[in-house]
Amino acid sequence: MSHKINKILIANRGEIAVRVMRACRDLGITSVGVYSECDKTAYHVRMSDEAVYIGNSPSTESYLVQDNIIRAAKETQADAIHPGYGFLAENPEFAQRCLDEGLIFIGPSPETIRLLGDKLQARALALKAGLSVIPGTDLDGRDSKAALQLVRDIGFPILVKAAAGGGGKGMRVVESEALFAEALASASSEAASSFGDGRVFVERYLKRPRHIEIQTLRDQHGNCVYLGERECSIQRRHQKVIEETPSPVVSPELRKRMGEAAVNIVRMSGYVGAGTVEFLVEKDGSFYFLEVNTRLQVEHPITEMVSGLDLVKEQISIAEGKKLTIRQEDVALRGHAIECRIYAEDPSEGFVPSTGRLKNYRPPSGPGVRVDSGVVIFSEIPIYYDPIIAKLVVWGQDRPEAISRARRALEEFRLSGVKTTIGFHRVIMDNKKFLDGDLSTRFLEEEFPDNNYQLFSDDLVERAAIAAALDTFVKERKITLGNGRRSRSTGSSWTTFHRRNNLRSFGGSR
Amino acid sequence: MPRYHVVVDGKEFDVEVNYRSGQYEVSVNGRPLRVQSHRLGESRSLLLVDNQSLEVDVRINGDGGKIVFMKGMEMSVSVEDYNLAQLRKIAGIHSGPLVEATFRAPMPGLVIDVRVQPGQKVKRGEPLLVIEAMKMENIIKAKGDAIVKATHVRGGQSVEKGDVLLEFE
Repeated sequence: MSHKINKILIANRGEIAVRVMRACRDLGITSVGVYSECDKTAYHVRMSDEAVYIGNSPSTESYLVQDNIIRAAKETQADAIHPGYGFLAENPEFAQRCLDEGLIFIGPSPETIRLLGDKLQARALALKAGLSVIPGTDLDGRDSKAALQLVRDIGFPILVKAAAGGGGKGMRVVESEALFAEALASASSEAASSFGDGRVFVERYLKRPRHIEIQTLRDQHGNCVYLGERECSIQRRHQKVIEETPSPVVSPELRKRMGEAAVNIVRMSGYVGAGTVEFLVEKDGSFYFLEVNTRLQVEHPITEMVSGLDLVKEQISIAEGKKLTIRQEDVALRGHAIECRIYAEDPSEGFVPSTGRLKNYRPPSGPGVRVDSGVVIFSEIPIYYDPIIAKLVVWGQDRPEAISRARRALEEFRLSGVKTTIGFHRVIMDNKKFLDGDLSTRFLEEEFPDNNYQLFSDDLVERAAIAAALDTFVKERKITLGNGRRSRSTGSSWTTFHRRNNLRSFGGSR
Repeated sequence: MPRYHVVVDGKEFDVEVNYRSGQYEVSVNGRPLRVQSHRLGESRSLLLVDNQSLEVDVRINGDGGKIVFMKGMEMSVSVEDYNLAQLRKIAGIHSGPLVEATFRAPMPGLVIDVRVQPGQKVKRGEPLLVIEAMKMENIIKAKGDAIVKATHVRGGQSVEKGDVLLEFE
């Protein structure tokens, strides 16, 4: 069953591709990157040992084309494929393709992905595993009128979700009956275009729950551990923005109950690899199963910071058929970690993607700071993919130390060329509710309605005014200088310097 | 002495700048400040205002203004000759567009649906269009009350950032 992996093809781009390549290098495994037209000189290509072109810039013509990925793996004689997150990471057909082609897919089996990827089946499995689920119903292809009948019993507000969904796609909150038909149609159309499956179902919409998830690892021999939780309540349109571990509200007792529940469903689904079981948690500590993500999560580094484990190395080792070297009683979580997702988005314009070239890029460093970037200076942020630039991950002995390090690190970023969410994160780090750990999935909409917040201090605004005025002044002045002195300067400053030096020595001036 | 009318984040500043014997002389709203600026290369410089150190990157913005990057954040800034700005104010001419009569695509993407028709009155917050960008459906809502004059796109059409989508009266 054991099979040493020597070469891994990473079927992804950006920061996660770089992240996986780093683990490969640590393990002495050769990494193969893949790239689309616009990613020819991307950072992940420069970081890979070998790189293969896989098609045009749109992901449907490159990163999502299974044939091209498989061909690249064959051509480079890779023995395994790491899918990263997004793209083909949770596609059971792709996982099956890999197996059929004799390649190791670093992730769970196609059957497990299929089972857990279908939210309706996952719900049923969770119930069987003894977990609580949110009251809800399958719409089973009913038209909106018939569906409304069913939904009335649950009570508004409700949440419409895609059965094949993920990442907030095909998901709609519906406050009242009047808005139901429209939400149903748009969720279904978005689900169909994103996943090729327009089936939707509804759940009661919990008013102010927290989103807390459990990281699990399970090997091919049935050994399973949970590595604590991650609180991901700070979300915008169901996309996580800031994650932290431990959660400010999870007691050791609750952690144990949630961890054991997660292990139950992971076992029952025959899961192999690193997985994440997501829960919604209410004020009284009751938790409801949401879904299992059958991939490495974007926010995995915070778990690495507190557990000391390298989750990508664990994934690879599990895929090689090795036994977990850690038992539940060995899991020791230390300190506090926070991740801020830095997106190329304009917070002042409703977070629309901001594309372009990074004219300056210098990420922060220093004690307790880790930055997972997919970019370097002069990188182009293409319009075709997720606009994530980097993940800032900070670690502290406790939550207050982690927060001050996050503040420091955010301010230390030097970045120009595109608009980013760095300043917005900086504002959150001073928010009273955030500091109190008083979070819910509605945190952002409640604390920053209409994106209304003071991003810049008065001092900073004044400095910007001075900087801009000086810039104008220097540019205007240069024009006059250039006209007046054109004939004066001949040769480089280097020659001028030496000429002066020579004159000095001849003149004997000491 | 060059004098500028600077607007940052909706706030106005009267900034005077002079350069004499290797030193900048700067005053903001009549208040003199000790300012040093050292070039770091390209458009970046180290700015010291009353000994407070700040690394800034000043670049040209698409709209003719400037964009200042600092502390990981960016600010849009407009700089204008002070006297010209005063004249303009007396004449009652605004800088930039008076009302946003045209609605441009805030991002490149695919128009999924146009929810309004010419002649329709819309209220602030009402959905105008649905645009799919980066695999997300974005419902674009009206920023204020207005009457739709014309629609320039249809569902299924690809748009580039800055394309005119709608016109308001």
